[in-house]
Amino acid sequence: MADQHTVRAFDKDLELLERRIAEMGGIAEKMVIEAVDALSSGDSALAHQVVETDARLDTLQREIEEQATLTIARRQPVASDLREIIGAIRVAGDLERVGDLAKNIAKRSVKIGMEGRAPHAIVGIKHMNDFATELMKDVLDAYAQRDVERARDVWERDAELDALEDSVFRDLLTHMMEDPRNITFCAHLLFCSKNIERIGDHATNIAETVVYLVTGSTLPTDRPHGRQETDLETGAGADARGAIK
Amino acid sequence: MSGHVQAQAPVRAAIGEAEKVVVRNLNFYYGQAQALKNVSLTLYEGRVTAFIGPSGCGKSTLLRVMNRMYDLYPGQRAEGEVMLDGENILASGLDLNLLRSRVGMVFQRPTPFPMTIYDNIAFGVRLYEKLPRAEMDARVEQALSRAALWNEVKDKLNASGLSLSGGQQQRLCIARTVALSPEVILFDEPASALDPISTAKIEELIDELSEDYTIAIVTHNMQQAARVSQYTAFMYLGELVEFDETNAVFTAPRDKRTQDYVTGRFG
Amino acid sequence: MRAASYSRRKARNSIWTILAYAATALGLALLSIILATLLWNGLGGLSLDVFTKNTAPPGVVGGLLNSIAGSVIMTGIGLALGAPIGILAGTYLAEYGANSRLASAVRFINDILLSAPSIVVGLFVYQLLVAPVGHFSALAGAVALAILGAPIMVRTTEDMLNLVPNTLREAASALGMPRSLVIRNVAYRAVMSGLVTGVLLAIARMTGETAPLIFTALGNSLFAADPRGPMSALPLISYEFARSPYAEQQKLAWTGALILTFAVLALSILARVLSASARRS
Repeated sequence: MADQHTVRAFDKDLELLERRIAEMGGIAEKMVIEAVDALSSGDSALAHQVVETDARLDTLQREIEEQATLTIARRQPVASDLREIIGAIRVAGDLERVGDLAKNIAKRSVKIGMEGRAPHAIVGIKHMNDFATELMKDVLDAYAQRDVERARDVWERDAELDALEDSVFRDLLTHMMEDPRNITFCAHLLFCSKNIERIGDHATNIAETVVYLVTGSTLPTDRPHGRQETDLETGAGADARGAIK
Repeated sequence: MSGHVQAQAPVRAAIGEAEKVVVRNLNFYYGQAQALKNVSLTLYEGRVTAFIGPSGCGKSTLLRVMNRMYDLYPGQRAEGEVMLDGENILASGLDLNLLRSRVGMVFQRPTPFPMTIYDNIAFGVRLYEKLPRAEMDARVEQALSRAALWNEVKDKLNASGLSLSGGQQQRLCIARTVALSPEVILFDEPASALDPISTAKIEELIDELSEDYTIAIVTHNMQQAARVSQYTAFMYLGELVEFDETNAVFTAPRDKRTQDYVTGRFG
Repeated sequence: MRAASYSRRKARNSIWTILAYAATALGLALLSIILATLLWNGLGGLSLDVFTKNTAPPGVVGGLLNSIAGSVIMTGIGLALGAPIGILAGTYLAEYGANSRLASAVRFINDILLSAPSIVVGLFVYQLLVAPVGHFSALAGAVALAILGAPIMVRTTEDMLNLVPNTLREAASALGMPRSLVIRNVAYRAVMSGLVTGVLLAIARMTGETAPLIFTALGNSLFAADPRGPMSALPLISYEFARSPYAEQQKLAWTGALILTFAVLALSILARVLSASARRS
């Protein structure tokens, strides 16, 4: 019993998908790092570069979906092959969204580039971004290695990112209350921190996909959350959902 | 997962499913050669169970044990238990003809008898019942309708069974089996000799028949197994490797050998 | 180089084709000559008398009525004796015996009987049915014919039944049909024309045998319908009249041979037509 398909072209189809995903992953990672670099350094040239790179990501996602559809039509995949292809489609979608979020951050950095205030908040955001970048890197490695444990680890660590986002949120709120002139600037930063938190969520999506891909079962729907409950969310007290499943 | 672990009952569901045919520790021999090794599985009532596996894995052999077809050939013997509604059909002294009226079989190549279409159906019925003409007519029509063939042959019941197309002949064979009101129907690669449209019709037929009968189907076409069955058994070299709900086998099989086979990695 | 070997092959091909055609032509020619000779010599003697009058001593106008009748009766009885044995034995070999030792032995003996010298068979039946009883009989003749005809039917029946695909038998068994019914209603029906062909071929052989009848039926110048006594037959009378010094009897011999040949020919053609139509359906 070989690890290769009897019809070798099938293996080639799958390899092509993997290469494209790897390419997307590399680009997305880079974009995430550079977007916040541009934000903190006010480098608008870098920001523009990030915005332009997103087009490549979109193209890749379309190509991956097309390739996956063709493979399904031609090979009628089942079991692990089917999960691979479905996984590739999902991961491509997540990575494309990550690219969009990074692009959004870059665009905002151009808008506020002139001002350069609230360095403390920027530090918080940078810290968040470093964390998110690590999550992305780890989950993409987990995908490449088909490593369930590593994916599960990413899935759980996202709770910390949520906690970080909370503290940055409070920070920025304080800043805005101190000085109304900061509001515009801080509002942009609020969106940026939200985007980074969403990047973390996408990383957990990819982690869930990795687990499904390898085992065929899904992770529990209630991911551990690190954020405090606000009044908007129903349910019991703030700490009830802090328990890790 | 070790290759020697005997496949257990399906992990998921199979709760509340009535057992129709239970195979326990079945061993089968062609002379000295052992073709089935300690096979145990269950056919659930009103469900379609597919047997898949590479050539020579024993799936047809297993099917043919269920209606004691191997009895026609000396030198072939089975050991173990096959319980049909709690009664062991491998017991000696069992009325084989009666068994075969309860467990019908449809073969790979259509085998219409050299008689008229009407007689093809009536013949089997006459073995067991003496019906007046009108009742026999009704029975024949019922059987042919059940096999989705009535409309195509109702005007030529006196034509020879051999004058039909391949797909029609196969449906005639199905009608012939259904006419005896069996409880279990065994299909041995029923569509492998047919074109895609006839194949689709047969699959649709199996779907409808599963409402009233328990069905087992041997097929080398995995997509067909995925389409028609609720349970799938994967066999390899005479052993039952995995037996589970079809959904599970084709999305996340438990045994690596099953995975390799269904994804086309068998080298 | 290739062209040279190709033309050599072509030449060889032509030579062998010509030889094949020539051999066929030779065979056909021989057959035609035989038939032509028969027609030439026998047609003249063909008249209504042949079919209405018995054989007569020289000088009296006679026919072949008793011989024709005798052939028909003896072949009929021979068939009645030999056909059941032949068909059932063939069935046994194909359906029940298969590769058993007994079946192999039966097949072997059958093959020997197929080509057994007919005179030996005649002598055997003489010892069995003529000597102890003290007189010749058509019955003994029929027995001899049956011994000669049965092996053909055994062979044909077995071959035909072996052509029935096993899946057809299995399909019938899968309905719960007992073995005997499977054979009777499915296997026999599937090869009916083949079985009939075998019977026709056996008849053809039986009608043409002369030597065994010499020692069993002997012949009879009178019309005889009682099989317990001697009876005439076409081959017998042809043999007898051919040695006669009288012209009109010699002529009748030719006529008898003509009738015999064309009867056998007709049966063979019928057998071919039946098997061809069976293959087509």
